Amino acid sequence: MAKYDPIVVKDGKRYFHRFSVNQRIQHVVLFSSVLLLAMTGFPLRHAEESWAKPLYNLFGGHQYAPTVHRIAGSVLLVLFVYHTIYWMYLFYRDDIGKLRRENRLTFRNAVKAFFSQEMVPNKKDLLDIIHIWKYLLYFTNRPPRCERMSWREKFDYFAPYWGIPILGPAGMMLWWRDEVSHVLPGIVLNAAYIMHTDEALLAILFLFFVHWYNVHYAPEKFPAAKVWLTGYLSEDEMIHEHYNEYVKMMIENGLEEEIKPQHFGGEHYGW
Amino acid sequence: MLAVGIAVLQQPGHVAEAADKLDCLTCHKYRGLSRVDEEGKFRLFYVNNELFQSGPHRRNNCRDCHTDIDRIPHNPAKAVDCLQQCHLVEPSGNVKFSHKSIAETLARSVHGKLDAQGQPKPHAEDYPRCKDCHEEPLYRPLSVFKGVVKHGVSERSISRCKSCHKSGNFAEDFYEHVTSRLHKTRFPLETIETCAKCHQDPEFRKRHKLDDVVTTYKHTFHGKLMLLGSERTPDCLDCHVVEGENTHLIEAKTVPTSATHKANLPNTCRASDCHARAGAMLAGYQTHVTYDRHKYPLEFYMLVFFKALMAFVLYFFLALIFLELMRRLFPKFAFFKDNVPHHAVEKPKNDKNKKKES
Repeated sequence: MAKYDPIVVKDGKRYFHRFSVNQRIQHVVLFSSVLLLAMTGFPLRHAEESWAKPLYNLFGGHQYAPTVHRIAGSVLLVLFVYHTIYWMYLFYRDDIGKLRRENRLTFRNAVKAFFSQEMVPNKKDLLDIIHIWKYLLYFTNRPPRCERMSWREKFDYFAPYWGIPILGPAGMMLWWRDEVSHVLPGIVLNAAYIMHTDEALLAILFLFFVHWYNVHYAPEKFPAAKVWLTGYLSEDEMIHEHYNEYVKMMIENGLEEEIKPQHFGGEHYGW
Repeated sequence: MLAVGIAVLQQPGHVAEAADKLDCLTCHKYRGLSRVDEEGKFRLFYVNNELFQSGPHRRNNCRDCHTDIDRIPHNPAKAVDCLQQCHLVEPSGNVKFSHKSIAETLARSVHGKLDAQGQPKPHAEDYPRCKDCHEEPLYRPLSVFKGVVKHGVSERSISRCKSCHKSGNFAEDFYEHVTSRLHKTRFPLETIETCAKCHQDPEFRKRHKLDDVVTTYKHTFHGKLMLLGSERTPDCLDCHVVEGENTHLIEAKTVPTSATHKANLPNTCRASDCHARAGAMLAGYQTHVTYDRHKYPLEFYMLVFFKALMAFVLYFFLALIFLELMRRLFPKFAFFKDNVPHHAVEKPKNDKNKKKES
């Protein structure tokens, strides 16, 4: 696979590498299938609302929309499996492989390596959450300095990673209800129905309010962040969201003299 | 020109006058024909002939049902008794037609006014009579051509009938009579609304100690797909009437012959056109879940869990977003300042923070 420059300079501005092409494609597949699932699922959840029928008819109505929903759901489940394999591969390559080369591969070290992966929540995230509340309630003048993946991003990441294992199997049970009824009691379908419909609502509300605030509505992001397309984050965003990582990357790339001071959204965007 | 105008105005719509030998429509065609009766109730006497001509009663004369009318203008007429014999002859048995057998079936059902001992049930006045569920019915003919089934009359099919059955409207009547009954004579949503007239009424439900079965039905996939226009999912009658039985024979789930009796429920779900491939355990699915803690504990506690999770996550983040937007207005203000050198990296012990990019 192609190597990416950790820092590129374009039009006199620095950009910091975040996501590989593979990860960006995974994100596109993820959001396309989730949006399609939402648009073919929520008209059913709220069938009595006036908008439900026109939206449902847009995807083929009661005849075809369920099939669209099932195809999108299958794509999402395949993505989930793919991502898990992808992540295990990276863990093996970067962590286990390294320990093995250095001949330090013990159970203890492997567990330690597992919990120090960039997406796994750790103690620093807990401290950052406490820190951001202190900052938001004016108890400190300095926002937290997040690592490569901030606690917010970990939350965004684990929302689907917890959501899909709940939504997926429940959806499959409702899909193959006749077959399921040979092995499981009917009340399981009641449970599957609640799991599917309520977890979907949580996922979509989280997506529309929280994730879209993080990447669309926030003043410095509006109308849309570009990192999902380019894979690179601008210096200002880096300072704002990942100051520790910013400092580290600057030092690693011999730019220690040019490290800018930490700031928070409002200071730097001229409003 | 006046003559042409009158001729146009008097064009009969769909050979309407057959049933109107007594010229009842002379008066009853006026939309405002109404009065306040002795009980102070507003009564409308307008007859929408176009609708009347689209239903199974169109071959009856007005007086076949309104038997007490003997002069014009007439006195206030009595309510129609649907159980009387009418002048039509039912062709299979060559006897005069009556809805009496339907009434007998209804009397045996859960909707019958009398209990097994022949005593009136409590609140007997709540139990339905014909017209509580049936408005003047309309045909819903089907058109079948080259394997495509649509609503409406198939001119191609009917022309085949008409090549022999030429006189009058016989072919049309017969066609609509039969094809309307090849599927549900009412749109399923209409059936649900009919049941809802009583079963969704809070006062009625309190009197008879019944759950809100209509709302709970609308929360199922069956109900939701129906609301979105599907006719394939079941309405009330599909599950509460034994397959092949008269739809007026709805029985309480305690009755051994009932479609919803524990022993029969698996076969009700597995009716030929429904979940035919399903296992018997499908019947364990609870259709009318009210989220009552004692009656449906699993559903209740699952719902509480998900709502609590949702409230926690969303309130946490919405508060955070709100405060963050506020914080941007006063970025430098704080009660306590801390001066950490800007290039110092915060680092909890043991945190290696590896990069993992391919």
